[in-house]
Amino acid sequence: MFDSTDWKVADRRIGILFIIPFALAALVFMVYPVAEAVRLAFYEHNPLRPEASHFVGLENFRTIYDDPLFWKSFQQATIWTACSIVLQTVIGVALALLLHLPLRGISLFRGLLLFPYIVPTVVIALVLQWMLNAEIGVVNWSLKSAGLIDENIYWLATPNMAMISTIMLNVWKYTPFVTICVLARLQTIPLELYDAAKVDGAGTLRRFIDITLPQLAEVLTVVVIFRTIWTFNKFEEIYLLTKGGPGTSTFNLAIYSFEQSVASLKMGVGAATGVVMMFLLFTGSLIYMRVFKFAEEETA
Amino acid sequence: MQKKSEGIKPAITRRQFLSDIAVLGAGAATGAGFTLPAWAQTKSTKTGTVRVWGEPGPYGGVAVDAMNEWAKQFAPDLTFKLETLSWDGVYVKLMTDLAAKNPAHCISVESPIAYQLMAEQLLEPLDDVVQKVGKNRLVDGVKWEYWGAWQGKQYVLPAHHQPHLLVVRMDVVKELGLGDPDKWDWNDLRNAAKTISEKKKDMAGISLALGRNLCTDYHFAALLHSAGGSMFDPANKFQVVFDSPETVEALEYVKSLQPYMPKGAVSYSFLEVVDSIVTGRAAISFYWGRPYGRAAEENKPVFANLESFNHARHPKTGRRSNWNDFQGWCIPRSNNAYIEEVKAALAYYQTSPEWLVRYCHSLMPNVSPVYKDVLNDPRMQTHPFFQTKKDTIMNYYVNSLPHSSSTGNELLKGISPLAGIVHGRSILAQTVQKVVVDGWKSADAAKWGAKELEQIRKDNLRLLGGVV
Repeated sequence: MFDSTDWKVADRRIGILFIIPFALAALVFMVYPVAEAVRLAFYEHNPLRPEASHFVGLENFRTIYDDPLFWKSFQQATIWTACSIVLQTVIGVALALLLHLPLRGISLFRGLLLFPYIVPTVVIALVLQWMLNAEIGVVNWSLKSAGLIDENIYWLATPNMAMISTIMLNVWKYTPFVTICVLARLQTIPLELYDAAKVDGAGTLRRFIDITLPQLAEVLTVVVIFRTIWTFNKFEEIYLLTKGGPGTSTFNLAIYSFEQSVASLKMGVGAATGVVMMFLLFTGSLIYMRVFKFAEEETA
Repeated sequence: MQKKSEGIKPAITRRQFLSDIAVLGAGAATGAGFTLPAWAQTKSTKTGTVRVWGEPGPYGGVAVDAMNEWAKQFAPDLTFKLETLSWDGVYVKLMTDLAAKNPAHCISVESPIAYQLMAEQLLEPLDDVVQKVGKNRLVDGVKWEYWGAWQGKQYVLPAHHQPHLLVVRMDVVKELGLGDPDKWDWNDLRNAAKTISEKKKDMAGISLALGRNLCTDYHFAALLHSAGGSMFDPANKFQVVFDSPETVEALEYVKSLQPYMPKGAVSYSFLEVVDSIVTGRAAISFYWGRPYGRAAEENKPVFANLESFNHARHPKTGRRSNWNDFQGWCIPRSNNAYIEEVKAALAYYQTSPEWLVRYCHSLMPNVSPVYKDVLNDPRMQTHPFFQTKKDTIMNYYVNSLPHSSSTGNELLKGISPLAGIVHGRSILAQTVQKVVVDGWKSADAAKWGAKELEQIRKDNLRLLGGVV
């Protein structure tokens, strides 16, 4: 017979066994690429001439620091991320509140809500390109037919509208993620809290501010952190929809990094941009969690 | 307009013609009356798939069919397979696959990118294939180096030459009394575009690409060269000469045309420009021969009234520079197990007038013949477009050649291996967009472009090798 110590050792071994595949995958697909990107950030590396690769210290970081396009991309990435996150959060919470209502057939709407999230981005971006085509797109045609506009709107051909269009795509696609997370949390808020507030005379708005929002704070903190990281790093939506244009009006740092790496074959500069993005997001996330005291509450 | 086009009805349709010639070609090229020289009869026992890259269009498929015909006879276990790359994606795809050491075994690419690849020493020299194809076959007005020669070696074999010209809706021009487009200078062209925009409802005067893409690079380069400007000076160690009055003038000219373009032109690339012409939303454009095939199938009234001319003259220089792709075949040398087989297959199809005529016929008049015997082959004129569009076809095939230019061989003054990198980063398009999108002054945009070009030159001095 085994004694309790044997069981513990066996348990631990089985646990380690289960972790090994993930750890290996993480090493190969996460740790190694990140480490390689950090290493490359200190090298001049042209992929067509790998033999000429050499250490350049902080030169790549100096290059991006001196490049006005980097700063423009950073500014636009911040605007694109901030607008997307605010809209996703507001609309996501509103939709979650609606879907939390005990209405007949509401589960059907909850299912439909996931549609934008599960359709591949490349499909959506290409379809949207046609829909938003100023001259033959269905969006302008519909708006004109409804008498809402007289002149075509150039959704992707003017800098401001292109930025708005990419934000719209991001909001449409990822709001369901916010909604699902918030809805899950809404369903666990004890109803007694609302009953007690009603007895005390609190109206709908007061109950939302004093009960619902505080109860959602934690989940919103997590959702906003994840959405910020994912949105700030987003590449494919903008690249597929506008390729960063017109001009460079929808460049973000991911597209800047891609352009440096692939178009200019400056892998080191592209990698340095990635390292800066990683640093920015890591620092931002720490500050955000500290401001919302998320970490302390978790520990407590 | 509809009635007019119905009256022109050719004896056979383009589609029917292509279908007929495919059958004839297959029979003709299987060997009947076509004796192979000894060098082309070397057998190969290699197996596998030979990957061939080509731009969108049926002609790449014709070339690969010819290569497969060679394989059927001399390398029965080999299959040539075409992979089509989109125009705007060609540079990225090429560079990433080359960097990953996994390029196709044979590449059809435009000359500026080919020049970069050969200077990077990534290509196999093809002088032996040139000897087999015939050194003296080229049409008048071109040289082998236009497709890709560097430091005394030929690295690229001609596929076709392909200029963009001034594409004009003649019914509109005649209706508004705008004169003969062949005699226009820059001012006449602008006046024509203005008049059309003002007088024709729902029609833009001119459609050019102004997006951040290759098409904009190619449109702007023609104007820059007509004005007498350049990016680099090959006679002076490829010094950057872009910050010049000529660049400013070309930018100002684009800006002055913009009010007469579709408003969406700032995001236009190749496809959108073709669309605007074929659907009748624009009356004038700079374009290669591609709209004719589409218009013949999708919009016959437009096809009936479309003609192409050499570009409008620059008022001072008198130049009518176009952009000519000088598209060629090249063979990446690293990790390529099929170099000899590709050379033999290329030589086989390049020495077969049947296949070369079919190649040109597959998208008339987009791909122009490069060999005299093919240009003068009686079979060439059997294409139905020759019945109604002979002048336009000859403008693309022959009359455009004295005005050839490209960024890789600016004003035909010397091969520059830097142009491919310029296009990879869309420097010309970005310069144009600084003016038409961001509202910069043309002089400032020219300075910005020059600074970017200087950086490219500095980063790639090694490509200039013995020149610098």
